[in-house]
This record gives sequence, structure tokens and C-alpha cells, in this order.
Amino acid sequence: MTTGAATRRRLVWQQLVPIAFGVACLIAVIALLEVLIRAGVINRFIVPTPLDIAGSFGRLIREEHVGERFLLTCYEALGASLLLTVFGIAFGVLLHRLRLVRLATETWIAAMASAPLVLMYPLFLVIFGRSALTIIMMGFVSALPPVILKTLEGLSSTRPVLINVGRSFKLTPSQLYWKILFPSALPTIFVGVRLGMIFALINIVGVEFLINFGGLGQLVNELSERYDLPGTYAAICFVILVSVVFFVVTERIEKWLRPGA
Amino acid sequence: MAETGRLKAPASAGGWSALPLKRRVLLLRVAIIVTLVVVWEAVAASGLLFRDVVPSLVSVGKAMVSILTVADHKVQLFGAEHVIPDFYRHLWVTIGEVMTGLAIGGFAGLTVGLLLGANPFLSAAFERFLYYLGPAPKIIFFPLMIMWFGVGPGSKVAMGTISCFFPVVLSAASGVRQIDKVLIRVGRSFRVNTWQMVTKIYLPAMRQPIINGVRLGLGVAVIGTLLAETKLSNQGIGFLIINSYTTFDMPRMYALLMLLFVVSIAANALVGRASRA
Amino acid sequence: MSAEPLLVVDNIVKRFETPEGTLTAVEGISFNVAPGEFVAVIGPSGCGKSTLFNIIGGLLDEYEGQVSVAGETLRGPHPSIGMIFQEESTFPWRTVIDNVAFPLEIAGMAKAERLEKARHFVELVGLDGFERRYPSELSGGMRQRVSMARTLASQPKILLMDEPFAALDEQTRLLLGDKVLQIQQDLKQTTLLITHNLTEAVQLSDRILVMTYRPGRTKRMVEIKLPRPRSSEIVGSDAFGHYVAQIWSDLREEASKGLKDDEARRGGARRA
Repeated sequence: MTTGAATRRRLVWQQLVPIAFGVACLIAVIALLEVLIRAGVINRFIVPTPLDIAGSFGRLIREEHVGERFLLTCYEALGASLLLTVFGIAFGVLLHRLRLVRLATETWIAAMASAPLVLMYPLFLVIFGRSALTIIMMGFVSALPPVILKTLEGLSSTRPVLINVGRSFKLTPSQLYWKILFPSALPTIFVGVRLGMIFALINIVGVEFLINFGGLGQLVNELSERYDLPGTYAAICFVILVSVVFFVVTERIEKWLRPGA
Repeated sequence: MAETGRLKAPASAGGWSALPLKRRVLLLRVAIIVTLVVVWEAVAASGLLFRDVVPSLVSVGKAMVSILTVADHKVQLFGAEHVIPDFYRHLWVTIGEVMTGLAIGGFAGLTVGLLLGANPFLSAAFERFLYYLGPAPKIIFFPLMIMWFGVGPGSKVAMGTISCFFPVVLSAASGVRQIDKVLIRVGRSFRVNTWQMVTKIYLPAMRQPIINGVRLGLGVAVIGTLLAETKLSNQGIGFLIINSYTTFDMPRMYALLMLLFVVSIAANALVGRASRA
Repeated sequence: MSAEPLLVVDNIVKRFETPEGTLTAVEGISFNVAPGEFVAVIGPSGCGKSTLFNIIGGLLDEYEGQVSVAGETLRGPHPSIGMIFQEESTFPWRTVIDNVAFPLEIAGMAKAERLEKARHFVELVGLDGFERRYPSELSGGMRQRVSMARTLASQPKILLMDEPFAALDEQTRLLLGDKVLQIQQDLKQTTLLITHNLTEAVQLSDRILVMTYRPGRTKRMVEIKLPRPRSSEIVGSDAFGHYVAQIWSDLREEASKGLKDDEARRGGARRA
């Protein structure tokens, strides 16, 4: 029947139109900027023309080793993420097992989750020097609390009936943990890990910028100190692109990890 | 309705488990703090890390007292000249920058969020951009902020603004969408105008998401503003922190960091308390 | 007819401490279940039947009296008792076949063997073809069947069910009731069903224990002499209607006590 196909086509169209509109607006704004800057309405020494910015991409890739920098940032992010996952989940599990320790420390960890931990970067500079280690540690420390808290949340919010099923089958405490509590908590745990990884990346790039060391963040800083305006804007676009890709990829992984949700 | 119980552990003869829970938690907390202090002092005294990287807590304490009480800055207050510790001037500057950034970014975020939430077309067109821009590190925009707003407080306020805009706008947009549709129909049936609709129906119904968004916004505004201060500024708490790094006055840095954390945690707790009121 | 009862419930008394004082949930409940028998326990809300379920299942302790299975006194969940819960209890992260194979996995059975066995029970509850699906892809009724298959896979001597169809609509209930009947008859499964649904109880059981409102005591033990094998068609018969009417008058009496008690508590709270 054509009605079914027609309805489907209409729905797809309905979804595409706003997106196309949004993209069109973006392009229109960029075009407008181009015109205004060329006309001198906006000072081109403060905002370079979009075309200049686009032109810098090639230059950046060739001369500024964007590829290597990207890899360095990735390596730092990976290091921090690994530490986050291992220690965050381990502490979360530990706290869940030891009720007294949990009661004593959970509010402290929640407080740390809201504190501006990244401001400790000068301290880490002193302790670890101007190195990738400082950046990794900074990413790790500033993103640890949410991972611990989400792990704890996931384990504690296991539905009581599932625990009762385990008890009715006479599971040992270890079996109860690994076969019921942990699988049940996994979606929430991954939400925490993802959150942590995003915080870590933000802080890693930020600290790279601030201490002028590392990959992409450092590139932005260097270009701005050289007053390479188109380059600075282009580098910023690069960083945004990387962060968006990272965000989308982790979102996909999260959806894939929850087949039953 | 199934009631589930626990197979009780045999009650021990006394000692640790005989204490009430609250007491045990308190004791454990004290024990943890004492252990940390002891380990800290041991590391400080051992000379494992090079000089002063981990200073004795005594010197940190002294630095903190000095920061908070040594009056070394002249200021005009209420028509007379007073001398107060420099720290408070910097604190005032930072708080001002954060609050201004939060106000501008929060207001803008709320307005745009309301618009996006109420209009599905606009939401489908633009919300994706904001959603994906949200997790990008905002501090890299700082060179642009300096170019546009100068090296003074303006660029710091701008940092705070763009930092908190995103969480607020996304919370507001989803907050509007979760309003019970029937409330909106009630408003329409009474023929309220847009302003009334927003102030008397949307906003009260969105109280919780807005508060959550503001809380998150406060957190990132503080971070954005302070980081900007560490990068390029001559006032503010961020400046004080990086200044103690360049002068390698470690006790002062530790003291400042501790004060910063206490203030920010307290601010967050206050907002949390207010949200439950 | 074998002589030794499989399940002996002897004078169970369970009290709870609440802020309002000591609450006696059940008092002096005693009955037996013979091998292959299907016994239902029915009562109004608040009669303590879920408490009874948890006690027999070994999930609650600190009660007076004793429960024994094949002569052994209960000390925690008994391996010969299989429980089916009222709430949604499938593991959402496992497929249907992995859910059903769970008790076999715990028992250490090899993979190929346990999947083979699990498949048998999946077929038994009528879900063949759905082995690789996840619970989220199934309806509520199908998920309860998965939970049932999972418990049956552990081949318990006694099947203990707490209102397993509570969340389902009436038609699905009747059809699942059919399934349960068929399974019970095929396996000669000793079953104890806790329910508040009268139709279900009469349809499925050989005997019905009617409980009073709190504190839950035995009001009456009714023998259901409907012919076996049965099916859901029996629901329309005269004999069926006769049993339902008989038990309903008992239930109604207890249920209205519950209602009055509820009103008194709420009215009292308002006045206080």
C-alpha cells in the first residue's frame, strides 16, 4: 500500500527539515561573518575570516604535526581513562562491600566530585614536572569521584528481587557479586566511566593549554602566543572536532553495551 | 508485597560491633583523617620528594592563618580607609567574576533553553549543536576571550559565561519538555500570555531541572573562571594560586587550594540545601 | 498415594517490630504438602501470605515454629525448594536461554549440556524460538514464563510461587494457568502457590488453605475435588462455581475486616 510508504517518507522528511535548517543557519552565519569581516565591520585582527581559518587547516596539519599532537592527547586520555576505570570501579566495589567505610566516606567523595580539583594543576606541576604524567594524573584525579559514585550507585540499586533469586538458588557471596550484582550494575557503571572519561579529556586538553605542554591543547596555546589568529581559531575547531567525535563514540559504545535496556 | 529479610549475623560479644552506628562512622572518619595527617607529615619530614613539595602541615597551617589574618592591603570601605588581608580582595574579585558569569550565562542559557524546549522545530534544528559542544573544553577559548574582552576581568567573566551556558541551556530545554503537558493546556485554557506562561507555569514546573542545571553551571563557571585567572590575570584566587607556584611558596599554595575547596564545596552544599527547601 | 509429606509447615509464628509496636504477621500456621500435590494459600491483602512465602523460601528467619523439607529442618533457602517471585525477576543482561540455564551454570554443569537441558525447559513453557532473545524484547507474561523455566530447570522437589501472575491481565493469567497445570501434571511437580486470586487457586490446586486477616491464621482448608487432568475450560463449570462461591464468602469476611482495619488506622491518624 502506498500510504505506508508515503507516511514513512513524510516522517523522514519531517526529521530532515529541521536538521537541514540548522545546518543552513550555521552556514548562513559563517557566510555573514565572512562578509562583515571583509567589509571591515568586524576587525579582522580579532576575528579572521572563515576562509582564512579554513585555509589554516592544511598548514596546521603539515607544519604543526597535528597528527602527532592528536596522538599524544589520545595517549594521555587513554592513560587517564585506564587509571579511572581500574581505580574508580575498584574503589566503588570496595566501598559497596565495606558498609562502614562507605558511610564514612561517601559524602566526602561526593564533595570532591563538585570541587574544582583541576585547580591543583600547579601542584601536580611541582610534583610531576612539566610532563605527560602531570597531565595524565590531573585527568585521572579530577575525574575519579564520579566513577566511584556511579559504581556505588549501580551496585546499590540492584533490584532486591534479583538478589532474592540469587539467594533462592543458594549462591555464594562471590557468585552473588559476579553473576548478579555486577552485571546488573554494569550499565550504570559504564555511565560513570563515560562521564569520567569526558571530564578527563576536558581537563587534559585544558591543562595542556595551561602548562603549554602536550598535544592539541598546547597547540592552541602556542598559536595564540604567536598571534597566529587563523591558526588559533583553526586549532580550536580541531579540538572541538576531536571532543565531539570522542563524545559520539563513547555514546555509541554505551548504547551497544546495553542490549537489554 | 514481598518482605525480604536478612539472615542475621551472630551478635558478637561486644567491643566494636556493640557501638552504635553513628559512633562507629565518626570514629572511622577520625581514624582516616589522623592516618592521612600522619602519612603526610612522614612524607614531609622524610625528604622523599624534593624540598617543600610536601611541606609540613604546620607550615601550611601557618600560611593559612597568615593569608586570612595578616592585614596588608589598604581598601576604601564605607568612606574610611581600612587595612584587610589581601586574600579577601582577591576573593571578592573572583566571586564577582563567577557570579557575573553565572548570571549572564545562566540567564542566556535559561532563555535559549526555554525557547528550544518549547519549540520542537528549533530544538531539532539546533539542540544537537549545543549538546555536542557541551563536553568540549572551554578554556581553549580563552585566547579569543582575551582578544574580545581584554586582559582584565572581562575575559574571566566571559570564560565563566560560556562555561555555564551549556549545562544550563541543556537542562532548561529538557526541563521544559518534561513539564506535564496538562499544565500547559490549563494555561492555554485560561488564555495566559507568553510572559505569564513562562513565569507562572513553565518556570515553577521546571524548578528541579533548573536548580540542577544551575548547580552544574556553578561548578563549571567556577572552574572556567579560576583557570582563566591562573592563565592570565593579576587578581583573583586563581592568580594567587599560580603566583604561589611561580614564587615556589608551597605552603601558601596548599593553603589557598584548601581554602578554595572549602569555599566551593560550601557553595555547592548551600545551593543543594536551597534546592531542597 | 505416598505417605510421607514432602513439606511440613509446623506452627509458624512471625512477629515484626514496627514503630507502632509488635505486629504479628502470621500465627500458628500449620499444614503439609504431599509429593505431587498442588496446594494454594489464599487470603486477603495483609494476611501475611507473602511473609509465609519468604519464611518457607528461607529468606526470612527469626520465627517460631519450624519448616521441614523431606524431614530436614529449614535453615536458609533449601536447595530442594524452587522459588518464583511476584516481581519481574529475569536477568535483563542474559538471553532467555542463558537465564534458564542459570541454575545449571551455578551447579557447574558443562556448557553444551546445560544449554541442551535449558532448551528443554524453554520448550516446556512454550517459548521455543525465543532462546536468543533478551527479556526486554518479551512481554510480561513471557518473562514470567522465563522465570518459571529457570526455576524448573533446577528441578526442585517443591515449587514455591508468590502470585506469579499478579502483574498480568486476566486472559493471559488463565492461559498461563493452563500452562502451569500442564507442566505440573507432566512433571508431577509438588507445588505451593501463594495467591489472592480465587479463580486461579481453584483452577490449579488440589487443596486450598484460606488464611484470615492479620494475624494470619488458618481459617479453612478446602479440598478441591475437581477432576484431573484439568484445563482452563473448567472455569466455566458448575462445580468450579460452587467452590469459588464457598471460598469467596470466607475471603469476603476476612477482606472486609482488612478494609475496616485500614479505615480505622487512617481515620485514627487523621484525628491524632
